[in-house]
Amino acid sequence: MYEIDHSLLERIDKLDLSERNKIWREEVRKAPWKVYVDRERWTVESWKETEGQDLEIRRAKLLEKVLDNVEIAIHPFDEIVGRPTVSVIGCQTAFDICGDYVKDIWNDSGVIGVTLDASTSMSQDDLEVMREAAALFDPSSLPTKTYAAWRELVGTWAEDAEAAKLKDPGLQDGITPQTTSTFNWEKILKVGLRGFINECQEHIDKYIAEQGSDINKIYFWKSAIIVLEATIRHAHRYAALAREMAEKETDAEAKAHLLKIAETLDYVPEYPARTLHEALQAMEICSVAKIYENPQQNNSHWGRPDQYLYGYFKNDLANGVPLEEMASQIADLIGRWGTQTFVSGEVNKETHQINFGINNFMVGGLGHDHTDMSNELSYLMLHLVALLKLSSPTVGLRWNDQTPDWLMNKAIRTNMETKGGIPLFQNDKITIEHYMEDGIDFDEAVDWRGLGCVYPSLPNHAEGYGSDGIAAINLGGLMHLTLHNGIDINGKQTGLATGDPRDFKTFEEFYEAFFKQHKYLCHRVFWLGAVARDMRPECTRTPLISILSLDASMDLGQDVAHSHPDYYMCGISDRAIVDAADCFTAVNNLIYKTNTLTWDEMMKALDSNFEGERGEEIRQLCLRQPKYGNDIEEADSMVKRVSEDSAKIIKSYDNSPFHSFIISREGLAWHYFGGLGAGALPDGRKALEPLNDGSLSPMRGMDVNGPTAVLRSACASCYSDISYSAVLNQKFSSSLLNSPENIDKLIAYTNAFMKNNGTHIQYNILDTAVLKDAKKHPENYQDLIVRIGGFSAYFVQLSEGIQDDVIYRSEFEI
Amino acid sequence: MPSAAIVTNIQGYSIHDGPGIRTVVFLKGCPLRCKWCANPENLQGYPQIGFISKLCTGCGRCAKTCRFGAIIPGNGQRIDREACTRCGECVETCYYKALIRYGETKTSEEVFAKVRRDKMFYETSGGGVTVSGGEPLTHPEFVAELFSLCHGEQIHTCIETCGCVSEKAMEMVLPQTDLFYFDLKIADPELHQQYTGMDNAQIISNARYLAKNGAKILFRQPLIPGVNDSDANIEGISAFIRSLNRSDLALQLMPYHRMGLSKYAALDQPYELEEIQVMKAEEVETVRKKYEELGVSCTVSK
Repeated sequence: MYEIDHSLLERIDKLDLSERNKIWREEVRKAPWKVYVDRERWTVESWKETEGQDLEIRRAKLLEKVLDNVEIAIHPFDEIVGRPTVSVIGCQTAFDICGDYVKDIWNDSGVIGVTLDASTSMSQDDLEVMREAAALFDPSSLPTKTYAAWRELVGTWAEDAEAAKLKDPGLQDGITPQTTSTFNWEKILKVGLRGFINECQEHIDKYIAEQGSDINKIYFWKSAIIVLEATIRHAHRYAALAREMAEKETDAEAKAHLLKIAETLDYVPEYPARTLHEALQAMEICSVAKIYENPQQNNSHWGRPDQYLYGYFKNDLANGVPLEEMASQIADLIGRWGTQTFVSGEVNKETHQINFGINNFMVGGLGHDHTDMSNELSYLMLHLVALLKLSSPTVGLRWNDQTPDWLMNKAIRTNMETKGGIPLFQNDKITIEHYMEDGIDFDEAVDWRGLGCVYPSLPNHAEGYGSDGIAAINLGGLMHLTLHNGIDINGKQTGLATGDPRDFKTFEEFYEAFFKQHKYLCHRVFWLGAVARDMRPECTRTPLISILSLDASMDLGQDVAHSHPDYYMCGISDRAIVDAADCFTAVNNLIYKTNTLTWDEMMKALDSNFEGERGEEIRQLCLRQPKYGNDIEEADSMVKRVSEDSAKIIKSYDNSPFHSFIISREGLAWHYFGGLGAGALPDGRKALEPLNDGSLSPMRGMDVNGPTAVLRSACASCYSDISYSAVLNQKFSSSLLNSPENIDKLIAYTNAFMKNNGTHIQYNILDTAVLKDAKKHPENYQDLIVRIGGFSAYFVQLSEGIQDDVIYRSEFEI
Repeated sequence: MPSAAIVTNIQGYSIHDGPGIRTVVFLKGCPLRCKWCANPENLQGYPQIGFISKLCTGCGRCAKTCRFGAIIPGNGQRIDREACTRCGECVETCYYKALIRYGETKTSEEVFAKVRRDKMFYETSGGGVTVSGGEPLTHPEFVAELFSLCHGEQIHTCIETCGCVSEKAMEMVLPQTDLFYFDLKIADPELHQQYTGMDNAQIISNARYLAKNGAKILFRQPLIPGVNDSDANIEGISAFIRSLNRSDLALQLMPYHRMGLSKYAALDQPYELEEIQVMKAEEVETVRKKYEELGVSCTVSK
């Protein structure tokens, strides 16, 4: 626990973005999105030069070539320098890692879809560079070789299951070859890259002296030295550029700023950082080098910056560095990492619905002495996120029963500023306990951090989640298979033939058929994942990411591409559990308990997408069955049952690498994608419509008993016994947050959930756009309650004029 | 046998109706007929059927279901209120939730089983249970039983009352009630009669009774422009509160809003205050300050 200077918190509350930050924000808003071929030009050249050499060394030289040659720029608004592209919104490609993953390059139009709703035009020359890279790297890329291996084993089953959205990601997603780790920032700042180089050299000298026989170790350490030296030189290139610009600069202040940049980059990241500014600058150069090593691995994942930067922050404050100056530098980096783009694979666009790389940092949480470590820097970072108002990075607050009220209050206010989701709340204690149950010591587990959205990871560990083509299985799709004798949405037999549901005599027969499908899918997915995992080190290496992330890489002389019991973790998310459970509840009631419908009537309604003669009637019957999210035991206990049985199957797979699979039920925008894998379902959902969002959110519009009932249902599901994370999205209209007292009530609401083993919660503060949508599509918003002093009503029941009045209020109340 | 009442809604996460996170139990039946009432579905002491015309698709299933011929086809009024027996069968058949049932009979034990489910939220927020309506003290035994069960589990209790009930009703609930939200609407008895259908003699008497017997009270005034925002009314209410000689008594203003209009339409009832406009925040603040100047601690409800 830290002693908190509350006057400093008050000063932080008054901070605005700096002029430089504001100029940056304007530049980002007006800048066109760009894809650069600069990196790819050098990857191709290097690859040709190193033909025949060891793979690790080749990969190191490839990165070295890129770092030494790519075009770099310093912008007048840069507090910290270093970007993977010369413009503020842009990205490089990764054909050397992912193979031919950007299909648009083969169109003559030259238009490339970058992410969800951004595209860019490429010149013919640039297209040629990309095509050459794709052609050069594709045949030996991990996706190409793994798909070939899978076809040897199961024919086209894997691709069919991906097309039916039963599993994801596919290997073409660009996620596949990346084993994700967070950098060991503490060590980077403490010893500098020179420290790493010296350590590598010591290992080499010692190994040779001991007459070690594994040449791969020597290759690894040598590769690490190559990329570390290149990263230092990359910083020096910025220093030289800054000096060159300073010479031409006439404005004295700008000149001094440039000279300070030059001086800083001469020193870091090579040597240990001495100030917050140096620390941030060192982190940025390392992050940029990481992107150049694998542009698809665009995550800088800061882990717990409010811990490892706190000493610098307080020390600089004591030494008279202005708070405003430090805030401006931190905001610069948060903003930069919140707007980092990448060329998303086609499926990835659907599954994630994001425009930016998912970067993540956490605030608060327990320390090694079991006390909460929230501090003024945690507070400052939330404050800056609120000022920046970006959808990324993801920010998590590690909630525990010691989390101070002042931080919770700031967190809820930050949610209001950002319209929700930032920060999200994750249960510190539950996450740590899960790790300890899986054999990790408290001292390691206590430093857990978010990876991407809410998936937890550990420092000094490699996270294989998604990299083997295993991240999610779709229980909505499994329900479709069970209803159709194993035939998927595309008409292919990707599931088992478990029989026509009309022949299921009892509910239990139906339930068992579902879990036969589940087991079949899981075990195939895990098997194929193991194949992909074994293939990885033959295809790709990332020496920089390895050496800066894992102590074990340094000690063992081994790239992170190799799995190893000391550091390799692997997880899976079994999604759409609530959808499946609500389907079970409806079927059980309508067909077996009350005999309201026959299976034939149900199947005819589903197969006509509720459009036949009795379609709408049957859909309404389905919708009126008890739904999870209303604190109804019948519905909630079914969620618990499906959750436990799903977990049992996952844990029964005994060929996982070293640890059993971590079950982590995340999935922020996946429900759109998952929905494409299921026709009409017995819970009343129509074909291809989105599934429920998150992993614990109720069916859209079906939680009509208010927000406390949702949390009671979520607690009753007991996900926390099984899953590391579990996403629950809660919508609140601004009328519930219109006074300090009401903010306190939302804090109490959060605390109540977490104290009762809630794992994760995030709030969406409904803005005017949502209310306008609710006016247009009342069927999706039956749960939306409007509260105004002593009065309450469901929004959808209000007349248009009154709805407009509520919309008007919502614009002004926050 | 536990007492029963007609309940229109049990609403979790209520945050404007007492300290902390509360569950509000809305009961049907009220002796007053305030022209500005925002919850007209709670006035009658029996279940009612409402119709939300904008949600109706005109499918006609309700007409086929109704055994009493009480469904009127077309785009206007849907329910023939004379013919309707309020059986609620049409509500069950309406897919689109255009027909709604206001009110269901529940015992105090049933309601308690429901409200205690949110205990974990009361504990972290200092919240509890509030009974509202309508006038909850049209069912004093029910409230006393419910509150007694609440106190058995250390759950805080609050009543929102118009005060226009027998002193006996007040007496019955007083030991179990941690907080009274007590409406003081209009000081002048005649005006009170004109706008609420009853004079305020019983209300004044009950307020004195509660104040004298040590009840914790927050007075509340629905602030209706042109009706009770005059200086005379402000002075009258202030004088009354001061006359109770308790320094802890404060007043909360509840600015007039028109959110209840849709409910009048759903019940086919006329709304008589069509011409009244919502007050601006500054105007509400002026009234608040006047109360403060007259020695009454005053806040504004959000």
